[in-house]
Amino acid sequence: MANKKQKAPARSLILQRRETVVSYLFLLPALFFFVGFVITPMVMGVITSFTDASFTNPTGQFVGLKNYIRLFQDKIFIKSAVNTVIIVVVSVPVVTAFSLWVGSVIYKMKSGIRSFYRCVFYLPVVTGSVAVTVVWKWMFDKYDGLLNYIIKAFGGSPLPWTSGESMALGCIILILLTTSIGQPIVLYVAALGNVDVSLEEAAKVDGANDFQVFWKIKWPSIMPTTLYVAVITTINSFQCFALIQLLTSGGPNYSTSTVMYLLYEIAFKTTKEFGYADAMGVVLAIVIALFSALQFKVMNGGTTE
Amino acid sequence: MKKKAVTPYMIICAVLLALLAVFFLFPLYWIITGSVKEKSDIIIKSGEMVKWIPTRITWDNYQRLFKTATELFGIGMPMAIRWLFNSVFISVVAMGLTCATSSLAGYALAKKRFWGKGIVFGLFVCAMALPKQVILIPLMTEMSNLGLLKSVWGSMFAVIFPVVGWPFGVFLMKQFSENIPSSLLEAARIDGASELRTFLEVAFPIIKPGFGALAIFTFINSWNEYPLQLVMLTQNESKTISLGIASKLSEMSNDFGLIMAGAALAAVPIIIVFLCFQKYFTQGITMGAVKG
Amino acid sequence: MKKILSVVLATTLLAGTLAGCGGGQTAETTAAPAAGGTETTAAPAADSGSGDATEIIWWAFPTFGVDTGYEQELVDAFNAAHPEYKVKVEYIDFTSGPDKLTAALTSGTAPDILFDAPGRIIEYGNAGYLVSLDDMLDALKSDLTSDALIETCVGADGTAWMYPISSSPFYMGLNKEALEAADALQYVNLEGDRTWTTDDFVKMCEALRDAGSTQVPAIVYCGGQGGDQGTRALVNNLYSSSIVGEDGKWNMDENGVKALALLKSMYDSQALDAGFDMAAADELQKFQQETCAMTFCFGTSSEITYASEDFTQEAVPFPSDDGTPSLEYLVNGFCVFDNKDEARAEGSKEFIKFICDDAEWGPKSVVKTNAFPVRKSFGDLYEGDEHMALLASWSQFYGPYYNTRAGFAAMRPLWFNMLQQVFNGKDPQEAADEFNTSANAG
Repeated sequence: MANKKQKAPARSLILQRRETVVSYLFLLPALFFFVGFVITPMVMGVITSFTDASFTNPTGQFVGLKNYIRLFQDKIFIKSAVNTVIIVVVSVPVVTAFSLWVGSVIYKMKSGIRSFYRCVFYLPVVTGSVAVTVVWKWMFDKYDGLLNYIIKAFGGSPLPWTSGESMALGCIILILLTTSIGQPIVLYVAALGNVDVSLEEAAKVDGANDFQVFWKIKWPSIMPTTLYVAVITTINSFQCFALIQLLTSGGPNYSTSTVMYLLYEIAFKTTKEFGYADAMGVVLAIVIALFSALQFKVMNGGTTE
Repeated sequence: MKKKAVTPYMIICAVLLALLAVFFLFPLYWIITGSVKEKSDIIIKSGEMVKWIPTRITWDNYQRLFKTATELFGIGMPMAIRWLFNSVFISVVAMGLTCATSSLAGYALAKKRFWGKGIVFGLFVCAMALPKQVILIPLMTEMSNLGLLKSVWGSMFAVIFPVVGWPFGVFLMKQFSENIPSSLLEAARIDGASELRTFLEVAFPIIKPGFGALAIFTFINSWNEYPLQLVMLTQNESKTISLGIASKLSEMSNDFGLIMAGAALAAVPIIIVFLCFQKYFTQGITMGAVKG
Repeated sequence: MKKILSVVLATTLLAGTLAGCGGGQTAETTAAPAAGGTETTAAPAADSGSGDATEIIWWAFPTFGVDTGYEQELVDAFNAAHPEYKVKVEYIDFTSGPDKLTAALTSGTAPDILFDAPGRIIEYGNAGYLVSLDDMLDALKSDLTSDALIETCVGADGTAWMYPISSSPFYMGLNKEALEAADALQYVNLEGDRTWTTDDFVKMCEALRDAGSTQVPAIVYCGGQGGDQGTRALVNNLYSSSIVGEDGKWNMDENGVKALALLKSMYDSQALDAGFDMAAADELQKFQQETCAMTFCFGTSSEITYASEDFTQEAVPFPSDDGTPSLEYLVNGFCVFDNKDEARAEGSKEFIKFICDDAEWGPKSVVKTNAFPVRKSFGDLYEGDEHMALLASWSQFYGPYYNTRAGFAAMRPLWFNMLQQVFNGKDPQEAADEFNTSANAG
């Protein structure tokens, strides 16, 4: 890792061993909860994914890769996977760009106004999905919803929103965005505030315009933040679930079904095949891990001076 | 920074921002006003005007929400308040435990060299990618084997433990701990300070701002943690406010006023907590992430 | 603020270091069961007495109504009469309750008693989670109002898993004033048994569309499983089809396809609308708010929940081509989970008998479910109530009961997705074929 300084040449084996013991003592409390209540059930989940465990037969029989093979033949799973990818591919750049824009507009403002906006954009994260989705559901209502009410007031023709096959996923993404940009904005405001002002001014003296200043000076120095934002947003978007359950139940015609939603449906509602649902979860976890690893790699490449 | 002339771009930005703020604040405004509206203001029939402002403020919705009574430590109270207490209890305990365990672990991962460090950290990071739904049923079996699910308090701890185990805190605190100058630690070691003292007196003051971020993160996360609460908390007395609201939503979906009162009760306390501590939060979150 | 924060930090840190130095393992594991132990044995209520009363946990869906307190009344009365048992009631709702049950059953933390309907109960029974109630059902058989009720209570192997208490039909609700305004009342039969035909139904919807007395005449909700028996009843009645074929398989036959085609053509001509993101509860709300003029999911309890002071709600059976409807119906009943504890199972049965059969509480319980007793000996519990008499008379139209068939749970999502596809332009025959294949695959 980064701290090569500690590598004193004369460190004895005893000292090294001592440090290992001390480190694990420090890690012990966290590892206790992590291994006990995350890793253990996770391993059980992975094992289940190789069985045909279901509601009728909770232990199940070992079936090898059958569940995994079935995934790639399951049209609904593939559709859900495509939707999931769409959500990620749309929301990651939009969240990044949008929060960067908001951040760059508000970081120069007076501190009172700045923290007001920061709070406003962070509120949807705080309030929680169950409460807010009730309001969203009403806003998107096709008949008596607020959005169609406004459209009708201006003489337009009402839109189907969450009940339209082509619009529903867009509505989900829109709400997902409102709950995703709070943290990135906070990060960007801070990151932009840390950009070296003298460089900026020097560039301006040399006749650079605002756009060039941004691109040549600010952008590189906020790169680590951008990548951090990308990782967090990726994980969140991949795991989008509660919104869909409360708003569309995956419909119309599976157009808002995601892998996360589908796996919950299969485990708890429809066929209750735990083995198959867990296989979905494992595949999803691997994909998220790969995405994150890739982004981490890029991020580390970008920060080492 | 020097003053600049107001450009059209700035005006557009200001207007857009203001509109967005309205858009973001609206759901909350609607929940709070909805909770004190009368029925005739809430149900908008086709062709009627939307009532933006309550014509008359009423507490009926809250009265209906507080109808069922229970008691806690011998004090009588409405069931909804008990749910609120449970939410606070779970979040506070989870927050305390997470801060303690994560800061120790994050410090070790950032500043110590030891055998297996790569594997441990890799495990922490990978686990973050796993959807929680996958571990729900195995976790429940485990908790039931531990005998936690039979009692009200036990089942609340069954929600707390997995939240504490969730690796995000460790990841975050590792980021913060990277900021501790190794030279300071070295100096403490030469002075003969014990490991624990080094951590408390040298490392801790530096990572302190990170605590604010982690504390609020964990608090919000465990407050809103829905699937875990749903399966673990099966007794009336152990329900949290989000579970309570969700069940009201299912049973009385046509009583919008009641739902809004419940939603307000679930949202307002946590918003207040957030507003009070947001300074520490922004400080902390910034410090960890900008470092990268 | 700073002080509070530092206090919090100090205490948490202390807890952390304690756990860290003194072996987190022991500290945690001893703390947890201790917290558990105290609460289980010394549960809040008063009558501890001898202390070895068998504890029975009852999970109740709001079938007795929401927040009525009736469950607790029952429990108190039973606990007083049977001090050897101690019943505790926990409330669950129809949205999250089923998920909770799935998790609880598979992880071995099931309650003892559940108050529900055959759909789930028989699924649990077939999966091996229930105690046989053969003895109780045998004793009840001679007193049942209809022999058809027996098949709603037994599983695939003929074992009785459910003990029924009451039943009631599902039907349609109409907004009388909206129909009047559209001059559509002429198509509806509000006399006698109120049966009517598919043609009249279509004409009624078209009249409502033309008059525009509500935003849309009707909404065929297909956004989820909630109340999906309503849309199934609609489709199956229009051309007298049945979702279960002669061979016992799930089957959308040609008449079913014809019905789908009719609904699609009505959707195209805006004589009705499709609710792609709506379940029955949403549609009922729209009916209550007069956004649509009818509901396909009326029943004795939704009549009460979605009552309105602003308009008259008329109950009618589903329309069919030959004027003889085949109605879906609800059966309320109890089941006992197998927790490998003889005493708890016995106590649970005792309690169920108390709720359903006790001379005082039995009839009271039936009325609380807003449905009709399954016992002949209870007689007419709604004497003088014309409306209830009409609903009771519809039991002659009850169709075959299929909620207990294998694959029912897996069929339900396929059902509403088929409707969505048809409304979105997929050929009804193709959609039905796909439904038949998938539904019978499991």
